[in-house]
Formats: sequence, C-alpha cells, structure tokens
Amino acid sequence: MRRKRGGALAAIAMAGVLAMAGCAKDSGGDGNQAAGDGGGGEPGSCVTNEAPAAPENSKKEQTTEHGDIDAGDLKIGLAFDVGGRGDASFNDAAAAGVDRAVEEFGAEKGNESPAAGSESEAAKEQRLRQMAEQGNNPIIAVGFAYAEAVRKVAPQYPDTEFALVDDNSVDAKNVTPLVFAEEEGSFLAGVAAAYKTSECQVGFVGGVQTPLIKKFQAGFEQGVKAAGGDNIEVKSEYLTPAGDISGFNDPAKANVKSKSMISQGSDVLFHAAGASGQGVFEAAATNDALAIGVDSDQYKQKTLADVKDVIVTSMLKKVDVAVFDYIAAVAEGDPGDLPERFDLSVDGVGYSKSNPAIEDVTEELEGYKKAIVDGDIEVSDTPQG
Amino acid sequence: MEKPDPTVTTSKRRLPGWARGALWAVVAIGVLSTASYLTDMPILTSSDTSQTALRLGLPILLAAIGGLWAERAGVMNIGLEGMMILGTWGSAWGAYYGGVWVGLAAGILFGLLGGLLHAVAVVTFNVNHIVSGVAINLLGLGVAQYLATLVFEPISGNPRESPPVAKFDTYSATFLSDWLGALEDEQRVVLSDVAGLLRGLVTHVSPLAMIALLLVPASYFILWRTRFGLRLRSCGESPVAAESLGVNVYLHKYIAVAASGGFAGMGGASLVLLEGGADYLENQVNGRGYIGLAAMIFGNYRPSGLLGGAALFGYADGLQLSGGGAAVLALCYGAVLLLAIIVVLQLIRRHWWAAAGGVAGAAVLYWIYWTNDELPSDLIPYTPHFVTIIVLAVAAQRLRVPKAIGQQYRRGEDT
Repeated sequence: MRRKRGGALAAIAMAGVLAMAGCAKDSGGDGNQAAGDGGGGEPGSCVTNEAPAAPENSKKEQTTEHGDIDAGDLKIGLAFDVGGRGDASFNDAAAAGVDRAVEEFGAEKGNESPAAGSESEAAKEQRLRQMAEQGNNPIIAVGFAYAEAVRKVAPQYPDTEFALVDDNSVDAKNVTPLVFAEEEGSFLAGVAAAYKTSECQVGFVGGVQTPLIKKFQAGFEQGVKAAGGDNIEVKSEYLTPAGDISGFNDPAKANVKSKSMISQGSDVLFHAAGASGQGVFEAAATNDALAIGVDSDQYKQKTLADVKDVIVTSMLKKVDVAVFDYIAAVAEGDPGDLPERFDLSVDGVGYSKSNPAIEDVTEELEGYKKAIVDGDIEVSDTPQG
Repeated sequence: MEKPDPTVTTSKRRLPGWARGALWAVVAIGVLSTASYLTDMPILTSSDTSQTALRLGLPILLAAIGGLWAERAGVMNIGLEGMMILGTWGSAWGAYYGGVWVGLAAGILFGLLGGLLHAVAVVTFNVNHIVSGVAINLLGLGVAQYLATLVFEPISGNPRESPPVAKFDTYSATFLSDWLGALEDEQRVVLSDVAGLLRGLVTHVSPLAMIALLLVPASYFILWRTRFGLRLRSCGESPVAAESLGVNVYLHKYIAVAASGGFAGMGGASLVLLEGGADYLENQVNGRGYIGLAAMIFGNYRPSGLLGGAALFGYADGLQLSGGGAAVLALCYGAVLLLAIIVVLQLIRRHWWAAAGGVAGAAVLYWIYWTNDELPSDLIPYTPHFVTIIVLAVAAQRLRVPKAIGQQYRRGEDT
C-alpha cells in the first residue's frame, strides 16, 4: 500500500516536471547574438559624426618649466595604497614623480610605506602620523582610501603639507587634492575605439565596480557616442562588484570575459582593470581584436611586450606629473597654485601615441581634445542609463 | 570497492561508482540541454563554455587532488593555497629559463617543498594541522613575494610580476572537433548540446589539462587499488591499527603530504603556463586553494566527486563570466529541473522530508527565475560560490570523512 502511494506521488511529481519544463520564459536569452551584425566594414566606417577641427599647432607641449628649484629642505613621505611600488599603476606613478623630484630638485626621500590588503582606518592614520612625526614634509597619500585618515591627521600637524591623490573631499588648509579628469582621458579612448572598430561594437572591461572606475566607463561611453552616435554599441562589463578588489588582479577571468565580449562582436576593448588588463590584451591578441590600455603607456610596458601590437593606445593618467608638480609647488611655497583638477587642458590625462597604429586618427583625437579643453564638449563623470 | 552498507536494507545491489558517475553526467547534460533549449540560451552548452569551464576548473581540480592525497592520509591541508602560490612562482621561474616543461617541473617541486614543510610540522612535530596550514599560506605568499623581488624585478622591472614566460601549446582532435562543431551548429535538441560540450573538451586542450584529467583516475587507482594506497588510507582511518600491522605511518604521511603539495604546485603552474594566463602575478591564486579543498570535501573525499566539484565550479564561473545575468538565470532554471528530478527520486525512496526540502528549493529558484529578467550585477560574479555552497549544503548530509583526520599521532601511543 505504502509503496503504491509513493509511486503515485512520484508520478504526480513527474507530471509536474513536464509541466514546469513547458513554462520556460520566452523573453530574455539574447545573450549570444551572432558576431558582428550591423557592421563588418573597414575601421572607421562606423563613425557617423565628424570630428571637431584639430588645433593648428597641436604640437604644443604643456610641460611647465620649473627652472632651478632647490628643494633640498624637503623630505618627501609617500604613503602607498595597497600594492605599493611595483603595481605598474598609480602607486608606481606616484613613486616615479617623487623619484624625479628627488633627482631634479635635490629633495630628500623620506619614508615610504605600502598599505596592507585589509588594514583598518587606524593603521592608515598611524602611518601618516608616524611620517609627520619623523619630519616628512610634504606627505603624499596615494589613493582615495586615505581620505578619512588625512582628514583626521592633517589638522593635527598644521605645519606639514599633505597631498591626497584621487580624492578632493578633504577641505583643510594644508591638504592639496590631486584629482584627475579620468572621464576626459577615457572619452578620447572612446573616440579612438570608435575609429578603430570595424564591427561597430566596442567593449569596456572594468576591474572593480567602484565610483572611480565608473568614471572611466562614463568617459569611454560618451567618447564612442560622440564619434559614432547610435551606430556603435558599447558593452560595459565589470569583473567584480565594489568591495571585492580581486577584480584588479585576475587576468584569467579578464581573459574569459574579454573573449566572450569579442565573440559577441566587440572588436576594440578598453580596460580599466589594473593587473587584470593583461588578460584583456591576450584575449585581443588571440582573437584579432584591439585593446586600449590604461593609466600608463602600456604599449611600452616590459611585461606586455608579447602582446603590445594590439594595444593601439593607452588612456594616460599622469599621477607622476601631478606629484612632481606638487612637489615643485611646495618647494616654491605655493601649493595652492596647482590646477584644481588635472584634466586635458593641463595634460594631467591624455592618450599615448607610441603605437604607430594610432597615427591615422590622431588628428581627430586632437580635435576632440581641443573641443573638450575649450568647453565645447562637456564630459560627465557618471555613466548614463 | 566498498562493501555494501549493511544498514541500508535494499534488496537491489548498489550501482558501481563509475556507473553512478556516468548516470549523473547524463542527467546533468540532459538537464542542461533541456534548459538551454527551453530558455533559448545556447551558451549553456556551447563549446566555448565547456572549454572555459575546463580552464577555470583546472587549478581547482589540481588543488582538490592535492587535498585528497593529504586528507586520505589523515592530514588536513589548509595550506594548499600557500603551496599553489609557491607553484606559481616556481613555474614562472622555471618556464622563463627552461621552457614550459621545466616550468611545470619547477612548479611541482616548489609545491612539493611546501608540502614537505607541512609534513615536517604536522607529522614529525605534531603541530596542529590548521595552524601549520595557515602558517604555510602566509609563508608561501611571503616567500613568493621575496623571490619575485629578488629574481623577477631586475628582468621585468616590477616586483609583482614575472617577465612573459613560455606557454603550453594547445592541441585539438581536429576531425572529431570539426564534426562536433558541425553538429553543434545545427542546433538540434540534445544532440547539438552534447556535441558542444564535448567539442570544448577536445579543442585547444593543453597537455597540462590532459595530465590533470588523467590524474583523477590515476589517483583512484593508486589510492584504492594498490597496496601502497590501502596503507596510505589506513593511516587516515586508524594510524594505530596501521602501525600495529607494520605500516610505516610516518613515511606514508610524508609521501602523501609531499604529493599533495606537488599537485597543488601543479595547480599553481596551471595558472601561469596556460594560454591567456598571467605569468607570475602576485595574489593571482586568490583563494583557489580553498575552493579546491571545498570541492574535494563536497566530492566526499573521492576522485570522481572532486572532479564533479571542480567541474561545477569551473562551469558556473565560466558561464557567469561569458554569459552574464541571462545565462545565470537560465542556469537557475536548469537547477529547478535538476531539483525536480531529485524530488522524484526521493519520493520513490520515500524520503519525505528530503523531497519537501527539494520542492521548497525548487520553488524559490523558480520564483527567482520567473520574477527577474536581469540579476543584480553585484551578485553575478559570486554564482560559482553560491552554487558550490548550495550543493555542499545538500551533499554534506552524507559525507564520509576519514576517521583519523586532523588527529595527532605519535608512534607507540595508542590514542
């Protein structure tokens, strides 16, 4: 008897399975379109809008001459974010700026200290305090993670100058923010991508979905739109959500993600994913696509020598220049003189021209650059829609 | 291989392990192809997906095999992560100077050294297994950082990365692959799905992947079918009894833990030496050692089980990376189908509570699938973790742990 009842229930459940199998949703599931519908022409054929005119003398170099500054009495302290020297990203760039100042102005190199992976606010404050106590002046805090610590510590040492990279929320007399218009540099990357795509679809690979990385995404999407209108589709994807920093350090995942984006039709990928970017470049190299680097000129990076041909350009964020200028300004006693934001007009951000493949569109890029500098194009720093 | 459990009063003979494994594989493929057909998401069973699954699952599989060897000999190996890190450095170093095979050997060697250290600590000096494992994780990271600064920085200009190193070539079974590709493109129900999944496993396969896959049956054979394996496992079940019968427990534990480290090092090498990999990069292991350990435990400390666990994790990870939210939702739908089958099975066996639990789970998953068109992008990257946790929670009901695991053992003492 019991056995029979079990069998009956099983039969009912089986019928349930069949019914359930019948109710799959019809909507959704367009994730695997055939590659490259809508395009398939020459590079540049996807561009619909004419580029603004390039300036006459586009060779104008903006590096300010600092003359002979003597900064012998400065002892520069560097508080790194996670990674420290050798991250091939903003920590390294900041260090390069300091090294250059030490060499050119004769400043004294003070303490350097990297942050640990998951350290507390208190540890960051302690680090800054210790540097100040040891007579470092100025102290450069690299990364927005230091904002709170600087806000607390700076008022306690009114005679010490602090610089804070990537954050301008601290309003104190002796704190100088060094922030960048990442979206303006990324805009140019977007324009370059629009001119280089032949499938009329490009992609953005972000490492971690933080507000900072979203600025890159926003600029890139607007740049593509400016050149290609609605003709070019942008797919933006992130490796990990905010809070999980592993997205900056996982080339294998970036490689898989990029491959799938390429197989779905994107043929130019812009990454803002730190060390994961290598996976993006390798995916582009093995699948006949192009890629755009970030932060520094990745075409010249030694560890990427094998795949450099696909790195058509890099969006530059010149932390080194900003840090160098800041030290010069401190040496002259007037850090308030620095630009409020290192943007295109002061060459705080930009794009690299080291790969010859970019040469045929530099005129257009210079045109867009001029339009942004003149204020004809405004670039928003948050993604739309 | 195992005696039938006398507490279960079934008249039928239990299916042999390989047959059950094959049956589960058939069920999984059936569920996936049904889901892919009904939700119109061919990516669930495309060759790209299975290829990605193989690649992402490989380091986890090797770590899990490492875990299997150590735990079967009664030694907990939390230190797999650290041994993998040592393996990544070793393989990059070897590959830079001597090509891929030297790199692989160096990766294994470095992992093996980490394993030996663990063995010295827990077998000879009776250190708590967890403490020693955690120490090895910290040490592995530190040693790799130190060596990278020392050796790689002058070459690559970056203490956190190695210079580009040689990578394994990949091989394809050309004719088979083409034929399967043609089948896949026809998009016929079930047939194309099977073709797609198989094709991913026979195209662009590196020798390392083949070796790793062969290690699964090899481990089974050595551990369950040879005298040495029986002795090794007896150290994990009852070292006192083993010693009384003349087994050298210390020696067997040493061999097991060293081999465990070697496999973990190989797992590290698989992060470095495969195409699209990363050369050496600090922190690139990123918890894969722990996931491998989890896959092994969920696989009930058996080779076939850990293969399933690693495949599951690799598949879910590959799917969420290349398919995004829509694919994960389709996977949800597949899970509902699978749960329904399990419910039917439980009803036949008259396990009422298990069946009720299955129904509840299926209802929740179906509700998620029905009410969402797009999952929150914050959650998608954790799909493999969710999948593994859920399966672990379900499967953990019937785990059979080696009896003497984690226990300290001294020769001549009888506890």
